[in-house]
Amino acid sequence: MMYAVEIENLNLYIDGRHILKNISMNVSYNTIHVIMGPSGSGKTTLLRTINRLIDLVPNARITGRIAVLGRDVLSSDPYILRRDIGMVFQIPNPFPHMTIYENVAISARLNGIARSRRELDEVVRWALEKAMLWEEVRDRLNKYPHELSGGQKQRLCLARALAMKPKLLLLDEPTANIDPINARRLEDAIVSLKDEVTIIMVTHSPHQAARVADSVTLIYDGYIIEQGPAQVVFLHPSNEYTAKFLRGEI
Amino acid sequence: MYSSRRIKDRLFIAFIASVSILSLVPLFHIMIAIAVNGVQVIAKAGLRFFTDTPPAPLSRDVGGIAPALFGSFYITLVSLPITVVLALLASILSTEFPSNIISRAVDVLSRSLASVPTIVVSMVVYTTVVVPMRGFSALAGVIALSLISLPYAYTAFSTALRSVPQIYREAAYSIGMDRWRTVRRVLLPVSRRIIVTGILMVFARAMGETAALLFTVGRYRMGINIDIRAPTDAIPLLIFDFITTPFKLYQEIAWGAALVLLAAYLAIFVSVKVAVKEVRL
Repeated sequence: MMYAVEIENLNLYIDGRHILKNISMNVSYNTIHVIMGPSGSGKTTLLRTINRLIDLVPNARITGRIAVLGRDVLSSDPYILRRDIGMVFQIPNPFPHMTIYENVAISARLNGIARSRRELDEVVRWALEKAMLWEEVRDRLNKYPHELSGGQKQRLCLARALAMKPKLLLLDEPTANIDPINARRLEDAIVSLKDEVTIIMVTHSPHQAARVADSVTLIYDGYIIEQGPAQVVFLHPSNEYTAKFLRGEI
Repeated sequence: MYSSRRIKDRLFIAFIASVSILSLVPLFHIMIAIAVNGVQVIAKAGLRFFTDTPPAPLSRDVGGIAPALFGSFYITLVSLPITVVLALLASILSTEFPSNIISRAVDVLSRSLASVPTIVVSMVVYTTVVVPMRGFSALAGVIALSLISLPYAYTAFSTALRSVPQIYREAAYSIGMDRWRTVRRVLLPVSRRIIVTGILMVFARAMGETAALLFTVGRYRMGINIDIRAPTDAIPLLIFDFITTPFKLYQEIAWGAALVLLAAYLAIFVSVKVAVKEVRL
């Protein structure tokens, strides 16, 4: 397996509408691949196709091939597939009825990462440290997420995703709904993670993409407009559309 | 400009406040009337009101409503778990598999059952349970109450499950939960307050149900029957029968029984409100 994620000729139709059009892309192991593009271009839909959350959309039909860590996504049991793929969403969504500790512990326990209470404590601490949240919540692990700020909630969601020790992490505009300081903390946490996990991140901000990406894909209206190593795409965009997007003109 | 907006604002608040008070007047009138009339008879009878059987019509003794009190709780508490389990399973089916044909059929059936008059349900249970069993029974009452409560419980539970924002379902799936775990560990706990309130409403409705029990439980007032195959009584039936008699004593007992019903309902309502914590999203 040369790539952590391989997508070939992917097409997605919802209610007969062609949403993703002939997408092909590869993501190398332990890199941060950023999918960028304007709102409504299909970035989030592409991300949800990789972990089959698109199954929740009625009348969605997929053709083509997606392989994650060598496993064919479209023929896999989605519930088992998702145990290797963590995800952080645009809107922070920690489970409101669980404490901060339980929010992280549940994904470790569900996926057999920790069994005893001691192991669980260690994984929870590790995940919260990796998400750069441990210092802020260490004294209130038994409190509920509604007491946290938006940025802290999002880092809690990152910790929840990490606690299942995923091999691939999908981030859907994780900083879109949080303040700039928390956004920067989250970005720092994300960059520090790439030695342990392959990351695909969706953003509509070229500035954020430039700060974190190893490689990028630019999507517009369901088509891939441009892709390649981040430095090449940012410094020498091959088409006018990419240049306009990077200048913030689209 | 500023002051006119302020006046409008205050007028609107005053209007809303007065309409709210107006809508509460009938409720308080009912509660006060029941309390005033009911307290007198319960005070006269003392504790025996809860432990004795009803007296003869021309008796000087007030007696009690024990058979109806026991019967009401008995048939309601037996029917409640049946209703809750069936309605919960049906609502999970309809929210998790909305396009499934069985799920659609369950949804349509449940909703149409709500519009069937309760007296018709009572007659159906009479012909299908009472006649074959050759007698009225608590069991017939339980079946009638379950049938009547089912659509209300189903509506309450499916509304509760649908009220959970999609983002929590997605979060559950993203960490590897399957459908069943998502329902059990996320959807039900997040919506627990609405579900418990729904159970309470179903309980209260079943406790107050009269027509469904007319042809089913048998109005047995000579004592308490624990056997589910034997006839029993219910407070609403006793109130209905006694308040329509010409005997003053029976009318007084009906007021006392109404107060007991109201007090039971309020006690459950308040304790559930206090005990079940709301999940803050």
